[in-house]
Amino acid sequence: MMCLRSSLLIVCVLLMGCSSAYKGLTPIPVDKACAERMRPRGIATSWYTASIDVVGKHMSGLLLVKEMPDSSRRVVFTNEAGITFLDFEFGASGIFQARQVIKQLKHKAVIETLRKDFALMLGIPFEQSDYQAWSLDNEVFYGVTQKKESAYFITDTECASLRRLELGSRRKRKVTVSTAGTDPRRPEGLTLQHHTFNMVIVLKKLER
Amino acid sequence: MRNTSNTSQGSIGRICRTAVLCIFMALPGYTQVQYNGYKPVADLPAFRKAFAIESAKVQTISSDFTQEKELTALTEKITSYGKFWFKRSNRVRIDYTKPFVYRMVMNGDKMLVRDEQKENRINVRSNKLFQQVNRIMIDCIQGTILESKDFTTRVFENDKSYLLEMTPVGKGLRDFFQTIVLTVEKKDYSVRSIEMNEPAGDKTVIAFTNKILNAAVADDVFAL
Repeated sequence: MMCLRSSLLIVCVLLMGCSSAYKGLTPIPVDKACAERMRPRGIATSWYTASIDVVGKHMSGLLLVKEMPDSSRRVVFTNEAGITFLDFEFGASGIFQARQVIKQLKHKAVIETLRKDFALMLGIPFEQSDYQAWSLDNEVFYGVTQKKESAYFITDTECASLRRLELGSRRKRKVTVSTAGTDPRRPEGLTLQHHTFNMVIVLKKLER
Repeated sequence: MRNTSNTSQGSIGRICRTAVLCIFMALPGYTQVQYNGYKPVADLPAFRKAFAIESAKVQTISSDFTQEKELTALTEKITSYGKFWFKRSNRVRIDYTKPFVYRMVMNGDKMLVRDEQKENRINVRSNKLFQQVNRIMIDCIQGTILESKDFTTRVFENDKSYLLEMTPVGKGLRDFFQTIVLTVEKKDYSVRSIEMNEPAGDKTVIAFTNKILNAAVADDVFAL
């Protein structure tokens, strides 16, 4: 009997693990006014302290988000002593360029992961306006599909607040970006949480 | 006819000279930075000797510091402040206090890094890069940088200070630094500033102020 209960528990856990994070999404008409009001519009030029934990390793430093006069955006990560570790450019025309990456981080998977993280944080996927909308558990998901993944900005049903951003495949939630503060363009803090492997980036705004 | 030939040979000569000059100027490392108000130290061996002797007299340093990181292409600058301690030999502590909190303690082969979230103890022997950075910092402060095989050094002076321009030899360090420029006080051979110039043109300058030399600094300051 005990063995049967354990087996059922294991099966349940496995089934839960296999269930899609987006299975319950119900398509709804897009509320264009809400989508336009809540759509992430990037982050104004700011410095943040950055704490990165990835598969048991911890590193910290400073992260600069900079809006350039040509409408491109730069994300620069340095250590506390000032040495630049990486410098990413998100061009106004959608072209991405890793302008500088130290040898220790110069791996395709690392660059691609961080590119997607920072693009989501900057709201770049939402610059195209052909959103679809779904409802799930008192939330509305506005999503755009890019290749095999979808980026979502998620609001409450009253369209009163932007709750978080997500990047996911058809079944799996991959990354969540949540912000702290009242002005989405000038967040006091951001947390980028990965769900498919153990990685979290915590940013706290520097008051200079 | 002879005149034409001479003129043409002269033109070719000029073109060749210009081409050779252009090729040399294009070679990395050929262009050397000039430092306003400084002239090369005439007697380098004498300077090396004096630098080794005088800086060895500095047993401890307590100091404030201001660090300015300049991202040239982005026209961005961030200034941070903190406190610095050195105790001969091989002990350094750097506390950033504003606008963020961060501590780095180097004590022999051991290193402690504490940021706002976590504390990490590192044996620098296990990481060549940490080992090199640790060594450079210690060598700069305790006046043994001229003996380092990691850099080639040019030395300049003005009335009040020496300027040591250090160019990394190995590729590992060259990835991070184009040059490190140390300014050293003539009056006591203590370091006034450290300027780290990165290959992409960004730079970080750490300037030391309110320096107190050879006052008692407890060993606990460098506890790991």
